[in-house]
Amino acid sequence: MPVIIDTEKCGKIENCPGEGLCIKLCEEDALIEEDGDVVIISENCNDCELCIMNCPNQAISKVD
Amino acid sequence: MKSITREGDENRSLTHNNEKCIGCGICTSICPTKSIKNGPILPIARGLVDMDYININKNSCCLCGLCASACPVDALEFKIDNRNIKEMDNYPKWDKDAKIDTEACVHCKACETACPQDAIKVARTLPKREDLVLGEIEVDQDKCINCKICEELCPGDAITVKHTGRETYETVVDEDKCVYCLVCKRACPTDAIKAVCSSCAYQDTKLDSEKFKTSGNIILNPDSCVNCGWCEEICPVDAAKVTKPFEGEVVLDEEMVCKGDSCHACQDVCPCNAVSITEGRSEIDPRFCILCGACANVCPQKGIQIKRTKMNLNNIRSKSWQNTLSGLTTGK
Repeated sequence: MPVIIDTEKCGKIENCPGEGLCIKLCEEDALIEEDGDVVIISENCNDCELCIMNCPNQAISKVD
Repeated sequence: MKSITREGDENRSLTHNNEKCIGCGICTSICPTKSIKNGPILPIARGLVDMDYININKNSCCLCGLCASACPVDALEFKIDNRNIKEMDNYPKWDKDAKIDTEACVHCKACETACPQDAIKVARTLPKREDLVLGEIEVDQDKCINCKICEELCPGDAITVKHTGRETYETVVDEDKCVYCLVCKRACPTDAIKAVCSSCAYQDTKLDSEKFKTSGNIILNPDSCVNCGWCEEICPVDAAKVTKPFEGEVVLDEEMVCKGDSCHACQDVCPCNAVSITEGRSEIDPRFCILCGACANVCPQKGIQIKRTKMNLNNIRSKSWQNTLSGLTTGK
């Protein structure tokens, strides 16, 4: 199951302490930037959970 | 480099050298006052964020020195009255080391290439090529007919036939390039090429085997060495000897759904180049692993277990330090 982003915790990329770290970490292109926000491309997600583990805002989780 | 200092009856200081730090988190796990926090290890290792691997809270750090004693790569330095505790009798001593026997070394540079920390430099001086060549050739200019067959055939481009005038020429042999293969001599239609063999008895003095040897210096920088064992494994003449900081094993959970190439977090943080991704799964080579635990901390699947059976740290005189440090060897 792909990941979900809590938009309240995430905020805009410009406010992210990691400057969009999840996008930089994901090598499957499952997380991309769109209008300053992080957007999930579910079909690309490989469930590696690197983004969940490393998000400085703890804004990413898994769908139950 | 970040330092914490406090002055009193003694002046104590703790300095973290991020260049040496491998982000293993051993200091974080043993700090009695929980004053050390890991930074985002994987993003730092990948160069995505510019931060130190650890952060020490200077207000709660009690400057006990335990972290500096337990750091397997000496990235933390603790000093009392400007003296490093590693030089003091009352503090623990690591039995970890990497050495290269300069007598046995054949200067092949395998260790230099393999060392994941670029800690080894082999500066070698090759023997002179002319000392290794078995003979020399001479050209009888009177017999030479300027056919240039030798020039065309010479595999080392050592022969040039030069015109010295309208009808005069000279065949010149470059001794640095000639390897005494005698192709020219055999091909010469007028037998103008003479071979002088140095291995013949009267030339024995030239066969001085000392002159054939490659010499050099091997520099193993202890500041960047992590005692991973690559040099020892790869050395063809067993000149390298490494004693690792820990003994034990690293176990990959067979049930784990390793994401291999799309994650490779373990591979990126490993200071020892011990991790490879084979057929989509992480593989850790125990020959190079120092059981630091950096990989286990960054694995999102929590599928890596470090089982240390022994810590090669001796002279731990404090009972409480013994207790805390024993936590590193009883598994985590």
